[in-house]
Amino acid sequence: MMVRSKSSRMVRTIVGWAVVALFAFPLYYWMTVAFKEGNEIFNWPPKVWSFTPTIKNFEEVFGISFGFGFGEQREVLPGGGNFRMGPRLWDSIVIAILSTALAITIATLASYALSRMNFRGRHHFVSWVLSTRMMPPVAVAIPIFFIYKDIGLLDTYTGVILIHALMNLPLAVLLMKSFFDDIPGEIDESALVDGASRWLIFRRIVLPMVKGGIAATAVLCFIFSWTEFLFVLTLTQTGLKTVPVVSSTFVTSTGTAWGSMAALGAAAMIPAFIFILLVQKHLVRGLTLGSVKQ
Amino acid sequence: MATVEYRRIGKSYGAVEVLKELDLTVEDGTFVVLLGASGCGKTTLLRMTAGLETISAGELSIDGKVVNTVHPRDRDVAMVFQNYALYPTMTVRENIGFSLEVAKKSKAEVAEMVENAARVLNLTEYLDRKPAALSGGQRQRVAMGRAMVRNAKVFLFDEPLSNLDAKLRAHMRVEIRQLHNRLGATTIYVTHDQIEAMTMADRIVLMKDGSIVQEGSPDDLYDRPNSLFVAEFIGTPQINSLEGRIVDDGGSPAFETGGIHVALPAGYGAHTGRRVICGIRPSDVTLDPDGPLRGTMSIAEKTGADVQFYVDIDGREFVAVAPRASYVSAGTTLAFAVAPEKLHMFDAETGRRIEL
Repeated sequence: MMVRSKSSRMVRTIVGWAVVALFAFPLYYWMTVAFKEGNEIFNWPPKVWSFTPTIKNFEEVFGISFGFGFGEQREVLPGGGNFRMGPRLWDSIVIAILSTALAITIATLASYALSRMNFRGRHHFVSWVLSTRMMPPVAVAIPIFFIYKDIGLLDTYTGVILIHALMNLPLAVLLMKSFFDDIPGEIDESALVDGASRWLIFRRIVLPMVKGGIAATAVLCFIFSWTEFLFVLTLTQTGLKTVPVVSSTFVTSTGTAWGSMAALGAAAMIPAFIFILLVQKHLVRGLTLGSVKQ
Repeated sequence: MATVEYRRIGKSYGAVEVLKELDLTVEDGTFVVLLGASGCGKTTLLRMTAGLETISAGELSIDGKVVNTVHPRDRDVAMVFQNYALYPTMTVRENIGFSLEVAKKSKAEVAEMVENAARVLNLTEYLDRKPAALSGGQRQRVAMGRAMVRNAKVFLFDEPLSNLDAKLRAHMRVEIRQLHNRLGATTIYVTHDQIEAMTMADRIVLMKDGSIVQEGSPDDLYDRPNSLFVAEFIGTPQINSLEGRIVDDGGSPAFETGGIHVALPAGYGAHTGRRVICGIRPSDVTLDPDGPLRGTMSIAEKTGADVQFYVDIDGREFVAVAPRASYVSAGTTLAFAVAPEKLHMFDAETGRRIEL
């Protein structure tokens, strides 16, 4: 009995670490590429642990020798790779944060209404919201390009923020609705009888209860915007570009700058990582525990 | 403080009729219990009173004012929910004070009223805790405190004790009743537990399938149930019902079933020949070797002061309550007598009480 439980615990630990390694190794390998000299990247067998680390790739990508990222553009690689990525990282941060904020604001209000208020066609409304995600984005990219061109949103932060928020809304509404649905209606009703208005109930009572849900939804929205490629590619020109789109410029007609690409990718993980770390403490479940006895 | 009047109140969800033209007046300051099995419409009626359900038909008035379309917050009612519905992100203090804060009372006033309520409910030391850190009974008291500080015209309770254990429930029954006595506010209390109804109510409204079956004081319902349904619903152990007929037993009426003859009050003479159901409360019988109710006892349950005998009388299970001293082991033949005036006679077809 004892032996079996011991061995099964060992198997579980081994499997656990294997899974972790499976996910973490590519990430680690990508990081090593970012810190390797050009030739070393292509060594065979690849040097996973022992290599001479260098920050040359980061210097190149962010133009550090010219002051962090905001110096003059320097063309090093043949083929026209862009080597001033600091501002591009900034673009990504602004767009991801603002589009997430916009999507969360709208989704929270909308999903509370969908969860609590009775109106004609409520159920159709939910499936209608979802249906906007059923079309492949590429099908709308071109029409949106022309619309943006006409109304002057092309190549602007507002334009990209709007489209990212729009893409995130259906999922955010659906997710947030399920979080609101989890809160028993009696809590609203109790506050209603206590004399509170709908808005007050939403703001003071229900919203603090879905903090965890908002955090989880925000993480998903943020990551979507952070990694979105198609719309940024089609709707921006020179004014702004996000990291995924500029990383593709490392693939040039004369070769791929793997080191630079890895350096940018590694750097791009940091803001996303910080964002997730910040909201993580709100992700704790069990905030609603104890309000109602089931 | 207010009188609550329901006039021909109805509620339907589409084709499903939940409440059927119900008439009821809850007098100012009384403690009324809406009693019934689940699905009888009692909670719906309570929620309609609070304004949480729309009223499909009829008129509801509180304090003489028709409130059919009045918003819940303008009805001046306080409600305690079955699952307490505490605000989990707020402390006990904030929970109790929330309605006062909404009513724009001054900070000092809110603090004073919250402290007072907490003192009455023994919650003072828990004021800064969140609901999650409280026991079931404490949560229940917070829910009561929330209603208490409102000083509302009408208090509504929706099965507030159903989540508590038996001991705590008995204790809270007393507390709620004391609270009512102190505040003197009109109270409507929903429960499916007839003990709660019997112990707490000034008046009981027994409901079935969306209608009122009988309304009256606990004693009325216990002593003079107007139908077999009421007789079976009120009282533990449940009333014994024997089906038979009223016969003439040498000039005076008697109830007869199988080989059993039980003498009836003279008034039943007019009903000779009628098929009836005879209701006998387990506590109304006495052990009597010459008694007419005779059978083999299969189980004897000691409940403390009493013992409950399960006796097979004419093929039916019959329950009798007797003092503990009369305990005998199973298998014994027992006989019981019952005073004629303690018998309840119901029509076998309709189940209505046969009045003398």
